Amino acid sequence: MTEMNKNPKPLEEALRNALRREDAPEGFALKVLAHAQQQNAAQEARRTSWLSIFSQPPLRWAAVAAVTICLVVGSIYYRNIQRQRAEGEAAKQQLMLALRIAGTKLQLAKEKVNEINTSRPESQPQNRSPRSRS
Amino acid sequence: MPARPIADSAPDIASADFTDLVRRYQSMVFSIAHHFLTDVPAAEELAQDVFLQLHATLSTLKSEEHVKFWLRKVTAHRCIDYQRRRKLPQVSFDEAPEPMSPSQSSDPLVARRLQQFVASLPEKPRLVVILRYQEDMMPEDIAAVLAMPVATVKSHLQRSLALLRDKVTRTMGEVTI
Repeated sequence: MTEMNKNPKPLEEALRNALRREDAPEGFALKVLAHAQQQNAAQEARRTSWLSIFSQPPLRWAAVAAVTICLVVGSIYYRNIQRQRAEGEAAKQQLMLALRIAGTKLQLAKEKVNEINTSRPESQPQNRSPRSRS
Repeated sequence: MPARPIADSAPDIASADFTDLVRRYQSMVFSIAHHFLTDVPAAEELAQDVFLQLHATLSTLKSEEHVKFWLRKVTAHRCIDYQRRRKLPQVSFDEAPEPMSPSQSSDPLVARRLQQFVASLPEKPRLVVILRYQEDMMPEDIAAVLAMPVATVKSHLQRSLALLRDKVTRTMGEVTI
């Protein structure tokens, strides 16, 4: 039996020794950096190829025109909405006024009726028909 | 390799020098891959892929400790993926080569044999042993890197050490380490 076999510590030390870090192969970092630069270049190329659509004058003008049309249509739509809202508000105010006037008139009519009823309290029974008395 | 802050004035790792990170951690990543795969070209290729992935995701990492943890985790998972994808031949524990003659402790052959024995362990226990004895990581840290319970890590370690001890007993009976 070896010392390493009897005791776990020497085995663990031997493992630490066997599994210690090694140097990466020569030029490893340079290779990685070169690949990373290629990765960057590829990403940049993808980005610029997408944006290069707008480098052509007709497409650039088309994009400007599309944006302008969108803005104009949007502002017209917004104005219409605002106008409809204002009209609705005015109609609501008119309706409220009409209801207030009608309410006042009804109140006046009710007062008149009450006034008439209270001014002729005794004449009412004489006017009643014989049928209603029976 | 001691971790040191990349830039005192800029805590964001995104501003760190990628070159500096590669130079600092190349040995760690390459060694994990090499001890796992026991194949230098494969380990180099895998380590390169790990650093390229780091380059693409560096902006999402918050600190250098996070970078170190990330590198260990990605390297470990890529090692397993690489071995499964390439179907690298794994030497079974009993078929691991026997030494021709007893060796001395200072002999690099002993270290070589131990590397071969470690390489013959199953995937997960092998990674646990590599992270424990190469990186000197605690079982809790290994559990976090490999996303497994601490008890499983400890169990892998105990069983692996027992297997390795048995193998050493059978093959290097007279070796004194």
